[in-house]
Amino acid sequence: MLPPLIVLPPFDELSINASGAEVRRASEWLESACQQREVPQAMAERLVLSLNEVLANVIRHGGANALSSPVGLKLEVVADAKSGKAGVTVSDAGIAFNPLSVAEKPLPKTLDEAAPGGLGLVMIRRFSDWLDYRHEEGRNHLTFGTRWKVQ
Amino acid sequence: MSISHTDVGDDLRRIAITGRLDLPGTDSVAEQLQELTAAPKKGVVVDLSRLKYLASIGIRALITSAKTVQQRGGKMALVVHGDSTVMMSLEATGVNELIPVFKNIADAEKSVTA
Repeated sequence: MLPPLIVLPPFDELSINASGAEVRRASEWLESACQQREVPQAMAERLVLSLNEVLANVIRHGGANALSSPVGLKLEVVADAKSGKAGVTVSDAGIAFNPLSVAEKPLPKTLDEAAPGGLGLVMIRRFSDWLDYRHEEGRNHLTFGTRWKVQ
Repeated sequence: MSISHTDVGDDLRRIAITGRLDLPGTDSVAEQLQELTAAPKKGVVVDLSRLKYLASIGIRALITSAKTVQQRGGKMALVVHGDSTVMMSLEATGVNELIPVFKNIADAEKSVTA
């Protein structure tokens, strides 16, 4: 007898409030959704790290509208026997901000040079294989994703 | 999420942080980390080998602590597993070049008390 066929929806979604405690809930949601969709663990960890940084930026810099409106999260995974890709889209009603427009800064050479800000964007860029941004209907939509090959 | 410490003689303090240094995690331990690193110990080793995630806010807390230790003439080092996401976070931000990182506690302790 064949095992029961589990049909997953085309994507996973979660809506959260813009707060620190919700960032943890979002991380746990993404971890378990990635596991269910068989995203390799190393890739899932990168996505979780990027998600943390994106949400921290929304909370810190998004302004009053970002804090008072739900933040939408969406995970889309496309995979076959040879390769796969997973993308997470975060949408918020905060101040329009395209992180792709920010020039990359050189890494600090000393502790004193290590500025308190900007580390999050550096991490998002490093952990993502692609980034995409659009501003639509008053909301920021930032997608970050990873790709992998099955060995 | 937890932070604990052990003093080894007069010169060395070991601090261990477990769990996640994400937004809520860092909020809950940052003040204590700052107090623990401000104490007049020559060497401070922060053991992150059982940490699961290190977000930028956690990195900022580590930078603040390392500066505090440096300003009072001490040395601070980190213990991190080489192939972990914690190491990825440190490498991505270049902080592994600013605060010495070791794979085991013994080497880290030797470096900060030398």
